[in-house]
Amino acid sequence: MAGVPLRLLVVEDDDPIRTALRWALEDEGYDVAEAVSGEEALAVVATAAPDLMVVDLMLGSMDGFAVIREVRRGHDLPIIVVSARADTHDIVTALEAGADDYVTKPFEVEEITARLRALRRRAGAGVGGGGPAEVVLDRFPDAPLVLREAAGTVHRGEQQLPLTLTEFRLLCELASAPGRVFSRQLLLERVWEHGFFGDERIVDVHVRRLRTKVERDPANPRTVVTVRGLGYRLDPQ
Amino acid sequence: MRRALAPRGLRSRIVLGFAAGALLVSVVLAGTTWLLARGYLLDQREALLTRQAFADANVLAGRLSTAGADVGEAVAELVPSGGADVIVRSGDSWYSSGLDAGARDVPAELRAVVGRGSAGTLRVDTADGPALLVGVPVDSADAEFYELAPLTELQQVLRTLAAVLAAGALVATAAGAAFGLWASRRAVQPLEQVAGAATRIAGGELTTRLPSTDDPDLLAIVAGFNSMVDALAARIDRDARFVGDVSHELRSPLTGVVTSVEVLAARRTELSPRADQALTLVQGELRRFRRMLDDLLELARIDGAPGTATTEVPLAALVREVLAACGRDPGLLVADPDEETVVAGDKRGLERAVRNLLDNADRHAGGTCAVHVHRREGTVVVSVDDDGPGVPAEDRERVFERFARGPNAARRSLPGAGLGLAIVAETARQHGGAAWCSAAPGGGARFSVSLPAVHR
Repeated sequence: MAGVPLRLLVVEDDDPIRTALRWALEDEGYDVAEAVSGEEALAVVATAAPDLMVVDLMLGSMDGFAVIREVRRGHDLPIIVVSARADTHDIVTALEAGADDYVTKPFEVEEITARLRALRRRAGAGVGGGGPAEVVLDRFPDAPLVLREAAGTVHRGEQQLPLTLTEFRLLCELASAPGRVFSRQLLLERVWEHGFFGDERIVDVHVRRLRTKVERDPANPRTVVTVRGLGYRLDPQ
Repeated sequence: MRRALAPRGLRSRIVLGFAAGALLVSVVLAGTTWLLARGYLLDQREALLTRQAFADANVLAGRLSTAGADVGEAVAELVPSGGADVIVRSGDSWYSSGLDAGARDVPAELRAVVGRGSAGTLRVDTADGPALLVGVPVDSADAEFYELAPLTELQQVLRTLAAVLAAGALVATAAGAAFGLWASRRAVQPLEQVAGAATRIAGGELTTRLPSTDDPDLLAIVAGFNSMVDALAARIDRDARFVGDVSHELRSPLTGVVTSVEVLAARRTELSPRADQALTLVQGELRRFRRMLDDLLELARIDGAPGTATTEVPLAALVREVLAACGRDPGLLVADPDEETVVAGDKRGLERAVRNLLDNADRHAGGTCAVHVHRREGTVVVSVDDDGPGVPAEDRERVFERFARGPNAARRSLPGAGLGLAIVAETARQHGGAAWCSAAPGGGARFSVSLPAVHR
């Protein structure tokens, strides 16, 4: 964590947790900003432009889902959800809203910092990476789908697609071996750096989100295809 | 004594009651019928014989009025119907139409009646059976006329009638018993339905209800039973939800504590030795608390959502992955690589169950010595063997109960909350399988889980 410390926003309405989390994350070298409510969180995102965000789902008038959705309109920063309920529909909803990962309460700060490190690593991994400068994923005549890993961009024709850092990293991982099947487990380890007991729903939701951006017809995906019972595969067209 | 004689069971009581009722009614009816019929038939016979005697007496009187008539001849000429004998006293002499009848057959009491000049009848017993003796005075000839008519024929009729009536009573009793059997079946049938429903509910099928009925007698039972089950299900649901809710509510304060302790731990060097020791203790207890909470939530999850997220899971591969993920020797797995060990289930839950079995062996027996995965009669069985002291036979069911611990748990402070094996048992049950404990061949304990195999 050399150089300028990363700016991290903690959105949590429970005072003791927020304070303790701030202390612990500051110990880890982050520059921590706090927000007590969803509205305050949006204001901080707009003014302070944090590099990372940790959001509790249970907030006051504006809940965590709405905050994530709102932030995702204009920002690709990694978002980690903190929730007391890991087995409910809430997690999937939060991931679909645009969260990158989640941690269940009670957590050890190490769990959060490990996830944050993973998210930051993949965000910067592409820059200066050893892969080809340009991979054409889809040769549609007027608007081909082109992945430029080094530049960190995906273009459909002239238009740059608004992928989040995690979606981009997921696409790069799949594009590293086109036609090869990646199991959910492997993707969780490579992209999210989770251990064996990670939640495979994270992969499924991210693939779904990625498809809505890169597929011509997300209902009938042809680029990022599901291999039933095994995982996912990238098929260049 | 009464109790010993009383028949057991509602059904036999109903059958016996119906049979006894039918017997009583038919005996009374048969007896009355027999008595009435007997009286009527006897009266009729008596009247008939009396009329005949009078007629015969008239004939005799007519003959005797002829001068010089011989009484003996006149008697011999009389041919009374029905095999009756005629006995006549004329003067001091007695005449008889049969050889075996005579003055000795006429009792003095009847003679006294006839001697006073009136007719009379008397039932007598003769060597041939009962008979009716009719006496008529023949004043014109200073004679007494007696006619002795046998009643054996009538007695035959009465005997047949009695037999028929007795048979009727027996048939009625049997019919009563049969009706009782039918009625008792009808009466007991709803009870059997209730018993069946109760058994299913006890087996965990809390959605079981009795079908609604139009029978006003059963309406109260059905409604009462169903509302009881509703209340029970609601209560179980509430209890389960309460445990889940409490566990969730505990998570937030625990998060604050865990994080604060980490901040403290980062400043260990600033702490006095005693404070540092206390911090170590707090950290250990916090880890235990977290694990207990996780286990409680896992149980609440299984209780709350039976049979979710079903995929096909090859168990041998799953065990191999769990061993690798937990940093254990993959050589512990003993399985035939050609054997299909696929089950349908919740992969995460099954991983957790296998992990709990491995952890259990670590805690109570110093480690796992083998994990067998094999098929047995349509199921896939995972067995985790250890070489610890084993589990005494009487404790082998108890160890799967919530918050149960190993032997002498009260004195020994073991890590874990005693929910690990309960989660294993619940997971197995959720998948339609079972979990049990037995002795491992090596002398330690063997914890096994069987799950229905998927046939492909």
